Order: sequence, then structure tokens, then C-alpha cells
Amino acid sequence: MSPLSLVGVSHKNGALEAREKLAVVSAQRVFDELRREGVREAVILSTCNRFEVYLFDEKERARGWAVELLERVSGGAVREQAYLMEGDAAVAHLFSVASGLESLVVGETEILGQVKTAYEQAKAAGMTGKRSNVMFQRALFTGKKVRNDTAIAVGPTSVATVAVQLAESIFGSLAKSEVLILGAGAMAELTARHMLSKKVAKLTISNRTWERGRALAESLRAASLPWEQFESGLESADIVIASTGSDRPVVRRQAVAAAMTRRAGRSLFLIDIAMPRDVEETVHGLDHVYLYRLQDLEAIVARNLSARGGEIAAARALAGAKARELGAWLKSLAAGQELSLKHSDAANG
Amino acid sequence: MMMQMMLIKSALALYAAATGMALTYLFSKDDKWSLWMLRLLGIGVLCHLGSFGARQYLFWQIPENRWFFSINSFFGALSFLALAVAAAFFVIEREHRLGILGAFVLPCAALGTGAAVIFADPATRGLPPALQSYWMNIHPMVLMAAYAMFGNAFGVGLALLIQEHQIKSRKPSELCYRLPSIEELDNLNYKIIVAAFPILTAGIIMGGVWAYEAWGRFWGWDAKETWSLVTALLYAGYLHMRLVRGLRGRKAVYVSMLAFASVIFTFFGVNYLSDLHGYLSARG
Amino acid sequence: MTKLFRSVRFNIFLGAAITLAAAVGTLIPQLGEAPEKAAAFQGAHPQWSRLFDFFGFFDLYHAWWFMGLLGLMALDIVLCQLWSPPPQFACEEEASSRSSRKEATLRRNPHQALFASRLPLERAFAQAQRGLAAQGYRIAADFATPAGAAFVATKHGLQRWGSYLAHIAFVVILAGALVKGIFGFVEMVPVMEGRSQALQHKPQWELFVDKFSVKYYDGTREPKDFASRLRVKQGGALLAQKTIRVNAPLDIQGVRFYQATWGAGGDFRSVTLKAGDVFTELPRHARRRIAGTPFEVEADVMMPNFTAEDGGPATASLDLDNPAVRFIFHGGARKIRPLWLFENDPQHCLVEGEDGALTHAPKPPFELAAIDPVLFSGIQVAYDPGYKIVLAGSGLWLIGTIMLFYLHRRRLWVIVEPQGGASCVSVGGWSSRGAQDFEAEFGLLMERLRAEMEPRSDLALSRNPLPEAS
Repeated sequence: MSPLSLVGVSHKNGALEAREKLAVVSAQRVFDELRREGVREAVILSTCNRFEVYLFDEKERARGWAVELLERVSGGAVREQAYLMEGDAAVAHLFSVASGLESLVVGETEILGQVKTAYEQAKAAGMTGKRSNVMFQRALFTGKKVRNDTAIAVGPTSVATVAVQLAESIFGSLAKSEVLILGAGAMAELTARHMLSKKVAKLTISNRTWERGRALAESLRAASLPWEQFESGLESADIVIASTGSDRPVVRRQAVAAAMTRRAGRSLFLIDIAMPRDVEETVHGLDHVYLYRLQDLEAIVARNLSARGGEIAAARALAGAKARELGAWLKSLAAGQELSLKHSDAANG
Repeated sequence: MMMQMMLIKSALALYAAATGMALTYLFSKDDKWSLWMLRLLGIGVLCHLGSFGARQYLFWQIPENRWFFSINSFFGALSFLALAVAAAFFVIEREHRLGILGAFVLPCAALGTGAAVIFADPATRGLPPALQSYWMNIHPMVLMAAYAMFGNAFGVGLALLIQEHQIKSRKPSELCYRLPSIEELDNLNYKIIVAAFPILTAGIIMGGVWAYEAWGRFWGWDAKETWSLVTALLYAGYLHMRLVRGLRGRKAVYVSMLAFASVIFTFFGVNYLSDLHGYLSARG
Repeated sequence: MTKLFRSVRFNIFLGAAITLAAAVGTLIPQLGEAPEKAAAFQGAHPQWSRLFDFFGFFDLYHAWWFMGLLGLMALDIVLCQLWSPPPQFACEEEASSRSSRKEATLRRNPHQALFASRLPLERAFAQAQRGLAAQGYRIAADFATPAGAAFVATKHGLQRWGSYLAHIAFVVILAGALVKGIFGFVEMVPVMEGRSQALQHKPQWELFVDKFSVKYYDGTREPKDFASRLRVKQGGALLAQKTIRVNAPLDIQGVRFYQATWGAGGDFRSVTLKAGDVFTELPRHARRRIAGTPFEVEADVMMPNFTAEDGGPATASLDLDNPAVRFIFHGGARKIRPLWLFENDPQHCLVEGEDGALTHAPKPPFELAAIDPVLFSGIQVAYDPGYKIVLAGSGLWLIGTIMLFYLHRRRLWVIVEPQGGASCVSVGGWSSRGAQDFEAEFGLLMERLRAEMEPRSDLALSRNPLPEAS
């Protein structure tokens, strides 16, 4: 019987209600319960998609006592959806989670930060010991290594981030770029916020209905441009996001060509996320103009996701190998002859 | 002689390896490729310098050759040019941290050194009387420094064309995100050419002054002189495009590449056209 | 007409035409450079040659239309450059317009900064000037505005002359070339060793080559050094003397004498024959009996660069690349045809037939070991009064491009306006290097300035992206 066990619920087995109930449970509460049960080492990982408790327990207990504990603190029925793992399986799971292999978007990096926070929280609460320290530090290390050594975390997975990445491939740092947004709908706002997060030099909104455009511009601290003048805005804008609800294309080739002569060859990036399209297709044929439609961005997202998927096998292998290392170390510790992790790391590359 | 050949062959191997690293780095995320590329490049440059030192020692065995640089033969000139390209890349990479561009520039250094080793005659000969002048140590070096910088600019321009094509195709591959942005490449291309242009100017003028001392005329429209002027005019054209008209991007890069083609012709092609300046031909 | 010259399209065409013509000129053999190649080309392509000749392609760089293009370019530059003050680049419309409207001025600059200072107007103004002067800026102008006062500070202002100088340089160089074309001359004077020759362009001057020597690298025919001991006399009186070699000419009143080339005309003093281990010197036209035979041998003709053509033996050039001597035989009952022997190849022997035809022959009982040819020194005499002008022009070109590209010109518009008892400072910054290069420096500069001016507000920096000049 391994002293290490893991109990939790995650998005993988549905359990939305259970997760919701657990999401509001404070870690302190769980730590208190665990201490009362005589557990000295535990780490609680709580995110939108999972709630997991990793604990080291010397006492022989009935199987499932931990699940009961969870039910107690959450006040809800979690028994059916909770999973229980021990020993090597628990280690493997943790390493897999840290590597982003259990996330909705494979390879995402937020989980790594969340694991780190969970570990530090436990440390601050005095609930860590040698085993959990080493295990979590190794898990974080493995998470980083998997993302570095494989392409599991490469390639943005949302249309907005893909657009930003493309913009950066054209302009470099976006801090000197001007963005013009045509339309004031939800998609326009979302992409605008992404651009703002990159600290673009200037953001201008131009909408057919002046009030809506101005309202959005105010909320984003951006400039407003009357719809009738939007074509002149093409001159100074480096990035144009077209997201009006118009039936027919509003950005014509003529207007863009005219703007391009005044831009003297500076690149222009047009993102057309409207359906039906807002920008005439022929615009892409102009020199130094790059027109990406929604389907192009989605295709890139799909490619990135499948590329990530393709890396899963390699990532799993790496995470698994590191997990096995740690498992061996835990066992050696229990047997009183502690292996040196540093050496084994070198041996395994 | 053995020492010289051994060192330059080592340099060639190291440049080739560094080029390989650079190409791999283009497709892999691992920074260690870039690190090793620079290390191998650095060692290669040192070997190359060593080979130059050995060559100089041999060269200076002939009293008439003291104390001139041995770049009067195809081997010497090509070798020096490859060295200059590698050195220029080193400097530019440090300045702008664009090791990724090694894939576009280092092949030149490797090819140049390879051409020297494979095709050129490494024997050192006595300098013909026309070249026994202190200008020998200045004029060709200055020009080749400019050529090396233009070579780097060409690599940058090539990267720009590739990057532009990637994004225009609307199906960018992984490569697109590894390369610097179009604007950055365009600016770098411009900066390198701007820095190199006055050096080219200085080299051409030095050639004229030397010619006045040796041949009786400042400018004789000899093939090499004329083509170096053509090169200068083409780069001046590029600079006018950018500075006066504000044109940038692909069209400007095409002009700068045409100008680089002229550099290549000035260095290599002219040997078939002129006997006067053709001391760089295989006859050495 | 000025409009035509200032049109960009015209300039592009002009530049491209000159570049293209220059390139073409290197592909067609030029009479000045390689007359033999030109002749060969003309022989091989008679039709094309007639066409080329019409356009002057065989002396392209002196053809009327080429020189016309160059002159047109010079005129073009003069009109474009001299007609307006030193040129500015695309983004600067105003060289000296002094707008007192704060917004208009500031908006024209890519970088803007704003901060408030506790100092009253005059002190703030003076302090701002002092602060910038300490950073290496020169106060170019100051003037009053409706609300307060303003000044312009520049650094490396010299850069604006760079383009101007670089273009003017071209005109200067062409002027120098024109001077050379009108007043200068070039003459190739072959002088036999020990003899003299008068200059065509300056008949009173006579060139004497007392001694000419050529040394070769051991075991090769590559020249190591060749030099003439030259004396120049004017009407019997000695003007100057010097041993000239390539790279070390003689200069008399601007007329320069260069050791250009040398060769052999065909005259020789003697040959050295080798028979077994015995070397015998045989002066030209002297006869010597060949031991054990009734024949006498005489060396009569030498070809410095022997070549066998249809017509018989000839010399390809005056260079001593393949020296050969003809030996004729006297005496004896049998008539022996003349034999040619070669200095570079002792085993080679040709017999000259009646009609001049050459066929291989067995070697005679002697070899040609050496020849003592009478050499002539090819002295290139050049007078180029335009050289100093061309040199000055080249220097201008170099300085101009260095200034233009290596100097970094910055310009700041500083407007100081009163605000209560204190003041408000607005700054607009422009750099010749383009906005992103200057951004960090501008920020730093403004921080420093503000720190020295008793600030009572934070520094507000903003960017106003304009079409960049560079």
C-alpha cells in the first residue's frame, strides 16, 4: 500500500455539479479536515476543470475515506464521479496534469501555473514534507520540459490568438501598430481586447451606428471614426478587423489600393471575421496586403490542435518516464535507501 | 601549406556544421541548436583566421610579398570573403539576436570556403609588380567587407521573401513563427545596406586612387571598376526607393537582391571579362 | 522642364539607363581596353559589329550618348538639389515652417512628450534649453508663441547636408572628368632601352630610357619587378630623372610617367647556344661553324611571342611569352632550310618551308639556351589636370554618404506655456533614423529633462505613427 493517494473530480467525467460544489470549498477547510484525520502532507489542486487532493498518509484506512471527506466538505454527492488513485498511478496522473495532457486544450500552460500555486499554497499552510516537495517540484519541472521538448504547447488554439500571432509575424512588436475595428459586435470586441493586451499604439472603432461604436470605443479607451470616413482610416491602420453585420463586402479593393499607395508599401493586415465576409476577396491580391478570413484562421487553429494532438504520444512518454522515476524514488525512500534523483535524471536524459 | 589546408578544411567543416545547426534551428524550438551554431561558427572563424595566418607565413617567404595580405589569388580572396561573411554575421547576430537568420547567411560562408578549397589553387605566388603597393592591404579588404555585409543583407532579404510568401499563402507553416516579422526583416535589410554603402563607396574611391598611382588614370571603365559602380548604383537605387519614395517590402527587397547579384558578378564574373583586374582568375 | 527632372520616373529611367549602359559596355570588347579582342569580335560578327559601331559600342564610355546621359544626370542633380534647400525626406514637409499652433506642430512629430514644471515661464524656458544643450543639442531657433515661447533643438544637424553633398559630389566628379577630357592627354610611349623618344603631346619633351630591367620569380616567367631608369629632357636640359616602376611613377608639372608595360620588338643582341655542356654566345647575324660539319649557323630573326599562323611564323604580341629564334645555315653543298628554336621548350624545333609553312623537324646538334633581347619599356604618359577635382568630388561623395547614413539627426520642438504661476512643457521629437530607433532615447531624454525642471506632474509620452522616412 503506497502512502500516496489521490482523490478528485475533473471535467473528464462530467460531474459539473460536483465540481461546482467543490470549486467553492476553501483549501484551508480541506487542510483542517485532513489534519484532523492525521494527514500531514497534502496538496490541493483546484481549478475550473478539476479538484484534486494529493495526500501522503501513513495510516491504514478504509478505502474511500478520502471520498467521504470530500463529500463532507462540499456538502454534495461526489461519490459517483470521484476517482481514486494510489502510488504510481497518482504520480503519473499528477505529471500528466502538469504537462497539460489532461487539459481541455492539450498543452495549455495555465495549468502549470495552477499546479505551482496549489503547491505553494500547501507549503504556506505547512502541509508539505519532503515527499510532496520533491514530487511537486519534479512535476513542475516535467511540465516545463514536456512543453519545451515536444510541440505540445506550440501553436495558438483560438482564432483571436492566431490573429495576434499572425500580426506579430508581419509587424513584430505590435506596440507601434494601429488597429482599426469595423463593427462593434461581440467578436469585434473580443479581438479588440486581445489586441489591447498587446498594447497596440492606437485603437480606432468605426461602426455604422455611431452610438454603439462610440460606446465600445469609450469602454476600450479607443478612438471613434465615423462610418463614412472609415476608408480613410485604412491609410493609417496597420491592422483592420472587419466584423460588421453587413450582407455585402464593405471594404472594397479600390479603397484598399488607394490606401496602399499612400502607405507606400507598409504592410496591411486585414482580419475578416464577419459572416458573410466584409472584405472583398480580391483585396488579398494587392501587394503587401494580407487578408485572412475566418475560415483561414479556423484552419490554422485546427492545424495547431491536430499538431498538438500529434505530440501527445511523445509527451505522454516523457511525462510517464519522469513519473516512473519519481515513483522509484518514493519507493526507495520508503525502503530506507534513497535514490539520487539527480543522477537518474542524467541517465534518462 | 599542410597547416594552411588543414586549418581551412577544419573551418569549412565547422561552417558546414554550423549551417546544419542553423537549418535545424529553423525547424526546432530548441535554443541549443542556435547556441551550438554560434559556438561552431566562432571556432570555425578562429580556424579560418589560423589558416590565414599560416598562409601569410608562406606568402611572406617570398621577399617581394612582404608585408602584403595574400588575397591576390582566387583562393585568398574567396577565403577572405567567406571569413568576412561569417564575421559580419557574428556581429549582426549579436546586435540583433537573430540567430535564426544563420540558415540564410551561413551557407554563403560555407559555400565560399568550400569553393576556395575545392576549385581554387592554394599555392602562394609572388605578387605581380602592379600589386606591390600598400593599397593591396586596404582596397580589397574594404570592398570585401562591404560585400560581406551585402551578403548578410541578402540572407535577410531571402528570409523576408520566404516569410512574406508564407503569410500571403494564408497557410503559414511553423517556419513562419520562427522567422522574425516582415517589418523587422525589412528594417534589418535596410540597416545593413545603409551601413555597408559608405564602405563600398570608400572601397571604390580607394581603387581609383590606386589606379591613378599605378595605371595613370583614376577611372578607366575597366570591367571590375564598372561593375563595382553598377553595384553602387543599384544599391543607391534601393536607398532612393526607401528614403525618397518610402517604398518598402518585397519590391525594395527585389532591388537589393538585384544589387547583390551585381556584387556576385563583380567578384566572380568580372574575371572572365577583364585581364587587367582579372588577377583573381585561376591563374592567380 | 524642371518638373520633368524632378519627376521620380525620369530619374529612375536615367539611373537605370546609365547602369545598364555601363554593364553592357563590359560585355562588349572595348577598343581602349582590349583592342585585339575588339578586332577579333569585329571579325567574327561583321553584321553586329556594323550596328555596334554605329552606336559607338566599341568605345561605349566615350560615346556621345553615354556622355550625354552622364551630363543629363549632372544637370538633373543640379536642378533638383540646388533649386531648393538641402533636401528633406518624405515625412518632413517643412524645413523651417514655424507653426505656433501647439497641436499642429506636435502632431507632425512621431514622438510627443508632455509634463508640467513648477518653474515659471522664463526659468522653465531657459532651463529646458540648458538641459538639452547639456545633452548635446544645439538650439536652432527660438520664438514666441501666442501663449508662451518655443524653441527648436537639433543634434547632428550636419546630417541634413549629407544627401546634398553626396549628390553634388557627382557633379564635381563629372566636372573633373570633363577637365581631363578637354585638357588632359594619355600617350603610350615605347622607348627602346638605351634610346629615346619624344612625346607627341609635348614635342619639346624627350624620354630617355637608360636602362630597363625585368626580374622574374625563380623558375617561372612571372615578373617580379620591372623598372626603367628614366630621364626626361626638355630641349636638351634635364627636367627630371627617376627609376620608375609600377606604383611609383615620375611626376613633372602634373604630367606623370608610368611604367606600364614592356616587351620586345624582335631585335636582339645575341643568343646563347648549348651543345652538350658547352655554352656558346652567338651575336645576331654573326656566323659560327658547327663543329664537325661544313655548315655555319646564323641567328637572324626573333619572334618574342611565337605563333604559327597560316601565313607562317608570326608573333602574337610583343610580350616575351614564347620567344623563338630562327637560325639560317650557310655553306655546305646541301641547302638546309631555316630552323626555329624555342627558349621555353628546348625539345621543340620547326623547319620553315619555301612558302613559310612550318613543320616539325629533328633537333639540330645544339639547343637555344637563352636570348638577350633588346627590350622596349612601355611608358604611359598621362596628364590629368582634373584629378584633384575628381578626388575632391570623391571625397565629397564619401563624406556625404557617411554623414547621411552614419549620423543620426534628431530634432525637438519644445513649447513652454505658462500654467498658473508654473509652466507646462510640450515636446515633439523627430529622428532621421525612424521612429522605433529613437523611441527609447526620446523617453530617456525626456525623463532627464523633466527631472531637471522641478516637475510637478508625471511624464506623458505618446506615439504618433507617421509614414516613416527610414
